[in-house]
Amino acid sequence: MSDEAIRTEGLTKRYGDVAALDHLDLHVDRGEVVGYLGPNGAGKTTTIRLLLGLSRPTGGKAEIFGLDCQQRPAEVHRRLAYVAGEADLWPSLTGEETLALLGRVSGRVDEVYRDVLVARFDLDPTKKVRAYSKGNRQKVVLIAALMVRPDLLVLDEPTSGLDPLMEQAFRVCIAEARDRGQTVFLSSHIMSEVEALCGRVGILRDGVLVEMGTLAEMRHLSALTIEATFEGTVPDLSHVPGVSAVATDGRTVHLQVRGSVEPLVSALAAAGVTGLLSREPSLEELFLAQYGEVGHVG
Amino acid sequence: MSADLAVAPPATVATPTRRSPVTAVAARSARSAVRSGALWGLLLGVVIASSAVSYTKIYKTAASRDALAATYGHSQAMSALFGPAPNLQTVTGFTDFKVTMTLMILGAVWGLLTSTRLLRGEEDRGRWDLLVAGQTTRRRATAQAIAGLGAGAAVLWIVTALVTIVGWHGAKVHVGVVPSLYFALAKVAAAVMFLAVGAVTSQLAATRRQAAASAAVVLGVSYALRLLADAGVGLHALIWVTPLGWVEELRPLTAPRPSALVPIAVFTFVLCGVAVQLAGRRDVGASIVADRTHAEAHLRLLTGPAGLAVRLLRATIIGWWVAIALAALLYGLIAKSAGTAISGSVHEVFAKLGAVGSGADAVLGLCFLVLAILIGFVAAGQVTAARAEESEGMLDHFLVRPVSRWSWLAARSVVALGVMVVAGLAAGLFAWLGAATQHSGLSVVTLLGAGINLVPPSMVILGVGVLAFGIRPRVTSWAVYGLLGWSLLLVVVGGIGAVSHWVLDTSVFHQMASAPAVAPHWEANAIMAAVGIAAALVGGWAFRHRDVQGE
Repeated sequence: MSDEAIRTEGLTKRYGDVAALDHLDLHVDRGEVVGYLGPNGAGKTTTIRLLLGLSRPTGGKAEIFGLDCQQRPAEVHRRLAYVAGEADLWPSLTGEETLALLGRVSGRVDEVYRDVLVARFDLDPTKKVRAYSKGNRQKVVLIAALMVRPDLLVLDEPTSGLDPLMEQAFRVCIAEARDRGQTVFLSSHIMSEVEALCGRVGILRDGVLVEMGTLAEMRHLSALTIEATFEGTVPDLSHVPGVSAVATDGRTVHLQVRGSVEPLVSALAAAGVTGLLSREPSLEELFLAQYGEVGHVG
Repeated sequence: MSADLAVAPPATVATPTRRSPVTAVAARSARSAVRSGALWGLLLGVVIASSAVSYTKIYKTAASRDALAATYGHSQAMSALFGPAPNLQTVTGFTDFKVTMTLMILGAVWGLLTSTRLLRGEEDRGRWDLLVAGQTTRRRATAQAIAGLGAGAAVLWIVTALVTIVGWHGAKVHVGVVPSLYFALAKVAAAVMFLAVGAVTSQLAATRRQAAASAAVVLGVSYALRLLADAGVGLHALIWVTPLGWVEELRPLTAPRPSALVPIAVFTFVLCGVAVQLAGRRDVGASIVADRTHAEAHLRLLTGPAGLAVRLLRATIIGWWVAIALAALLYGLIAKSAGTAISGSVHEVFAKLGAVGSGADAVLGLCFLVLAILIGFVAAGQVTAARAEESEGMLDHFLVRPVSRWSWLAARSVVALGVMVVAGLAAGLFAWLGAATQHSGLSVVTLLGAGINLVPPSMVILGVGVLAFGIRPRVTSWAVYGLLGWSLLLVVVGGIGAVSHWVLDTSVFHQMASAPAVAPHWEANAIMAAVGIAAALVGGWAFRHRDVQGE
C-alpha cells in the first residue's frame, strides 16, 4: 500500500496554447495537511479537477493512494471527499435530502458525526436549498464531505461564504480530521487559515509549483525583517553580506537580511546598537513575495 | 501571470461609457430575444411557405380542391382539432387552415419559454441582482426586459412575414404586402400574448420551471376552451374568452377581422403592466405566490442518479404523459367520425396528407404522427436536462463520489427511455379508450403496438443527443432540437413531392410506419433503435474521455 496520499508526475493541462498546469510534481503523504496557494488562474482548481478525474491531463499522471486518478476514478473516489468553492446544489431538495442523497451515493456515512456537524455548523436541514444563503449552501457541501470520514479531503476554497464563527468551526473539523489521521489537501486564499492548519504549503504560479515546503523551511529561505536603534550615528549597513532594503528613520534603521545573520549581528554590535527587533515573515508576506512587488520579504 | 500590486491608478479619471442605464437591461434582453425570434421566425415562415407550395403542387385541379374542402370543410371533429376551414379551395385558405393551429402552439411555446428564461431564469441564476443593483429599479428593469422581449417579438413577426412573402412568390400566389403582414401578425399573435403570460408567471412563481409550467397550464386551458368553442356543441361564444380564440378570429386572407386585435393588444399590454407592477411588489429572488422554504424530507427516490432524475423531473414527466394521453384520447374519440369522411376520391386526397388506409385507423395514423413529435420533444428534454446537470455543476457531486461516468449516463438514458416507452403505451391505451367509446373497431393490441411504434424515432433523437453530449456538450441542445426541427420540417414539406427521398429519409419520423393505418415496420424500428443505441454508446465513450464542462 502506498504511503503517499497524492502523487503527481509531470502533470500537465493545456488549453490550446495556454498551459493551465505545467509539469506538476506533487507528493502528499498520508496524514498530512497540505495548503495549496496561488492567485486566481494559477492552476489550483485545474490541479484539483485533474486529481478528481473531472478533467483529462494533457500529459503526466496523477495517483491517489497509489490508484491512477484517470483509470480507476470510482475506486479513488471511494476514499476521498471533495468540497468546491461554489456550492451548486439541487434547488428543490432540502438540506436533509441533499445530505441523504450524497451520503447514499458515497456509500458510507457516520450518522452520529453528521448530526454533530449539522449542530456545529448551525444548519437548518429542513430548509430547501434555494432558500439557503451562499454560506448555508457551503455548509451543506462541507458536512456532506466531512460526514463520510474519508481518507482524503480535497478542499477548494471550502470556507467561501462562511462567517468567521463558521470558519472557526471548519478549523476544528480539519484539526479533528488531522488527529484521526485523515489527509487534507486545502486550496485557499485565506492565509491565516492555511497558516493555522497546514504543515506544508505549496505555492503555484502560472501553472508551475514554485515553492513547496513547511513554513519553517520557507521562512528559513526568506528574509528576516530587522529594526535596529542606535545611540549615536546610524551606520551604513548596506555593504553587510545578505542585507537589503535598508531604510533609515532618524536613529532607527529598517532592513532585511537573508541567509546567515552573523555578519549583520557583528556589524550592529560594533556600531553600538541599543534596540533590536526581528520578525519572521508571515505566510501572507511569503506569498506576496512570490507574486508582488510590494512584499517586504525579498 | 504575475500580479503587479504596485501599479498606480491612472492620474486622470476616465470618462464613463455612455450606455444609458435606461436601455442597458432592454438591450441585454433584446439581444437574446431577437436572436431567438429570428430563428423561430424562419421556422414559422418556412412552415407557411411550404404549405402554400405543397398545396399548389398537390391540388392542381378544381375537383381535387373541392374534394379537400368536402373532407375538412364540414368536419366538426377536424374543426375542433385544427380550427375552422372555411375556404379550402384557395391556396391562402388552405395555408391558413393548415398552419394556424401548429403555429399558434409553437409560437405560444416560444413566447412562454423565452420570457420565463429572460426574466425568472436570469433571476434564478443571480444575474438579475447585478442588473437591479445598477441605476434602475425593479419595476424599471422589468419594463426594460419586457421591451427587449418586444423587440424579439417584432423580429419574429418581420422574419415570418418576409419568408411568407417569399413563399407566396415561390407558389405564384398573389398576396399584397399589407395582407401578408397581417397574416404574419396573426400567426405570431399567440407568441406575443404568451410572452406577456410568461412575464406575469415569472413574477408569481419562485423558479423558472414553475413559471414555465404555470404559463403552459394557461396555454392548455386556452387550447381546451378553443377546442370546445369549435366542436360544434353550441359553445362557440367561448371563442371570445380564450387568447387562442382571438387569434383564430383574426381570419387572415379569408374573412379578415382586425377588430380581434383589440383583445389581443389589451391582453398583452395589461399583462405586461401587471408584470411590471408585481416586480415592484416583491424582493428580487422572491415570488408573489409564497414559496415553501421548508419541507419534510422524502428520501425514497434519492438513492442515486436515476432516482434523483425521476424525483427532479417527475412533474415535467407526468405533465408530458398527461398531455400525450389526453391528446390520444381526443384523437380516439374523433377518429371514427373523421374517418367516415374518407371515401372514394377523397381517400386519394387524404392519402397525400400522409394518412394511409381508410376509416378511423387512417385518421389515427395521421394523429399518431403528432404524438410521435411530442415524444420526440420528451426525448430532447431529457437530454438537455442531463446536460444542464453538468453545466450547472451538479454532476460533479456524483462524479467525485463512487459513480462512474458510464453509470451516470446510463441511468439518465434508461430513465429517458422509460419515460418515452410509458408515453408511447399511454398514447396507445388512451387512443384505444377513446376509439372504443365510439365503437371504432380497433383492438387494444393494435393501438398499443401503434403506441410502441412511436418510440424508435425518439430513440434516435435521444441517441444523437447523447452523442452530441459526449463529443461537444455545449451543442447538445442545438443537436437535439435541430434534429427534431429538421425532421418536423420534412414532415411539413414532405407533401410537396419535390423533395428527394434521400433527404426525406433524414427525418426520423419519415422512417416510422403510419400505425395503426398500417402495421408497424418492426425491422425499421429495430434499425432506428440500434442507431439510437449505437449513437448513445459512442457518446458515452466520448463522455468518458473528455473534461467535465460548465456553461
